[in-house]
Amino acid sequence: MVGRLPAGLGGQGLTRAAASTRALAATGELCFPAMGTRIELHRFGDGAPDALTLAQRAIEQVDDALTIHRPSPATALNEVLRGGGPAKIDDPILFDALVQIDDARATTEGLFDPAVDRRLVTSGWPQLRFDRHAATLACDAPVALDFGGFGKGYALDRAILALREAGVECALLSAGESSIAVIGAHPLGGAWSFTVPDPRNGADALVEVELIDEALSISSTLGVGVAAPERAAMLRPGRKEAIVAPRTAVVVDRSGAIAEMLSTALIVADDAAARRLHDGVRRMLFDLAPAAPIRMFA
Amino acid sequence: MTDKTFDLTRRTFLDRVLMASAGSVMATATPWAAIAAGAETAGAGKVRLGVIGTGDRGRALIQNIAKTRNCMVAALCDNYAPHLAKARQWVAAGTPEFSDHRKMLDARGLDAVVIATPLHRHAQHTFDAMDAGLHVWCEKAMARTVSDCGAMVQRARERGKVLQIGHQRMFHPTYLNALRRVKAGEIGTVTQIRASWHRNNAWRRPVPADSDDRRINWRLYRESSAGLMTELATHQLQVGNWFLDAVPTRVIGSGSICFWKDGREVYDHVALIYEYAGGRKLIYTSLLNNARYGCEEQIQGSKGTIEPELGRIYQEVPPRALALQRMQADVKRGHKRTIPIGGATWFPELPVTTPGESLGWGEYDETMLQFEGFGEAVRSGKPLPGLLQQAYHASVASLLGEQAMDRGEAVTWPTSLVTV
Repeated sequence: MVGRLPAGLGGQGLTRAAASTRALAATGELCFPAMGTRIELHRFGDGAPDALTLAQRAIEQVDDALTIHRPSPATALNEVLRGGGPAKIDDPILFDALVQIDDARATTEGLFDPAVDRRLVTSGWPQLRFDRHAATLACDAPVALDFGGFGKGYALDRAILALREAGVECALLSAGESSIAVIGAHPLGGAWSFTVPDPRNGADALVEVELIDEALSISSTLGVGVAAPERAAMLRPGRKEAIVAPRTAVVVDRSGAIAEMLSTALIVADDAAARRLHDGVRRMLFDLAPAAPIRMFA
Repeated sequence: MTDKTFDLTRRTFLDRVLMASAGSVMATATPWAAIAAGAETAGAGKVRLGVIGTGDRGRALIQNIAKTRNCMVAALCDNYAPHLAKARQWVAAGTPEFSDHRKMLDARGLDAVVIATPLHRHAQHTFDAMDAGLHVWCEKAMARTVSDCGAMVQRARERGKVLQIGHQRMFHPTYLNALRRVKAGEIGTVTQIRASWHRNNAWRRPVPADSDDRRINWRLYRESSAGLMTELATHQLQVGNWFLDAVPTRVIGSGSICFWKDGREVYDHVALIYEYAGGRKLIYTSLLNNARYGCEEQIQGSKGTIEPELGRIYQEVPPRALALQRMQADVKRGHKRTIPIGGATWFPELPVTTPGESLGWGEYDETMLQFEGFGEAVRSGKPLPGLLQQAYHASVASLLGEQAMDRGEAVTWPTSLVTV
């Protein structure tokens, strides 16, 4: 199946490539490593000359706050939580990330959980006590947080804010091409159109999506890089076995962080939860058994 | 294997050597190969070889000599009787045996000798054989010192005798084919070779009651060997010089007795960088407590890589056209199209694991062919061109590597070497 997902913003469905003559004199791009992947920032049209640099800084600040691969506020928090905490959260980015994750619990039915741990089946967000007013996190048993893909979507959200504040009205941001966010419409008019490949065969398209002022997240148990050493296993809360069913989730949302959390939730969901989360339009789950046709979850 | 199937396999092997070494470029790079592969049968006039040293390696050589069309073992010599006894089964009954190589030389009846003794004995055995009017085939490395290596070359020249050193890779169809493909530009400009010989054993032989450790484990003691450098690395340094078509300009290295602290004197870990003109390098490691990466030379060019021990050639994977970069270009020329994004997370620069293609042609023992070549050289009185220079430079390179590690400083290629 190759679907075509129209752009959001009230279902405008901007499939018409308007022959915009937007001024492109101020285009620019910036590529750098962060969040464990390659970040690309592409801007078009007006805005402050240093807008991309500001966006880069925003992403690197998120990386510095949430990474667990080097000392960071997140690793400091984990150290306290491993000892049974409570921990005071001083870093504003880390605090904001925890608020977003806590707020999205209902949206993801609790299936995106940065506290799941295959070594501790009972470990999870419900065992944490998050006091927003006091900015503290406490737990009754050792817990460690891994922000995983959420971090990329969240970082793109922060970069989008930085670009908008710098006057940029047209941009495309990518974190490893599995997390995309755009500002405005395509510089030549209409929606930004993307083809998501079938991870079993990159030459085939899984779905086409169109974005305006939206973010896209792709999660998969298949494809290049799934077995890379730094890639954390996909876990369903309450189970220690990694999810290995051949699945790909594609989610579009106004928030990159929400899109990331939902795409992870779709991958780890059982069938009943997947039916509730999947809408076939903006939240899509594909069953990709070997040698079988592309099949959207139903 | 029956005689008939052996002959067929042998013919195929020789055909492949001839195919791999055909053409003017390869004739220049491997002038010895076609001569060796074209060696004619000798009927009753086989070249008579006296083998000095009938230990493990000597007996392996004797078995390969038996497969040749133009050589035969006419005498055996070893000062350790059990080695002689083991070698007896591979030669004709009544083959004369000696415990002193000088007596074997005095007994006459030989055209050449094969030397498979401990490294520090190679030079003297070579001198004695040539002084007795015989040609010499000697195991690698040539000698324990750079000066002895040069003296062996000079003695051969003075006596007008053939001196051939055992570097069988120069006769191996897979290596010849690999070189042909390098010369044809298939892997682009070769700027680096990574070579390794990694084993996971003590490299120590059990010592019989009637012998002693320094005699049986001569490779572990500095008086008789430079250890990994002369016994293993010299093969791969020859490959490096051959494929880079040069000798190193200098070498730096580090050696240690890191794992087998059992009284040995030679390093069990060596790591060296041989520099060649133009910034090219051969990076060499050998160790004795991890065998994962085994024995291999990775010949690295701008368009591909050849691993001759595995018999594989790999093309470089072209960098993926980044979809978002293309999008930028599209926008600049006013063209809008769907952007094909990568999907799952992009992981940069992990090792490439493409299977590559087979170089083929590796199922036969090339040691036999180098003896046929030697037999041809002895009969004609003319050494196979190019061989001795390759061997001399490989031995010098291995000994310079030892010096660099011992001194902890870079050692430059000597300007005083004998011209081959």
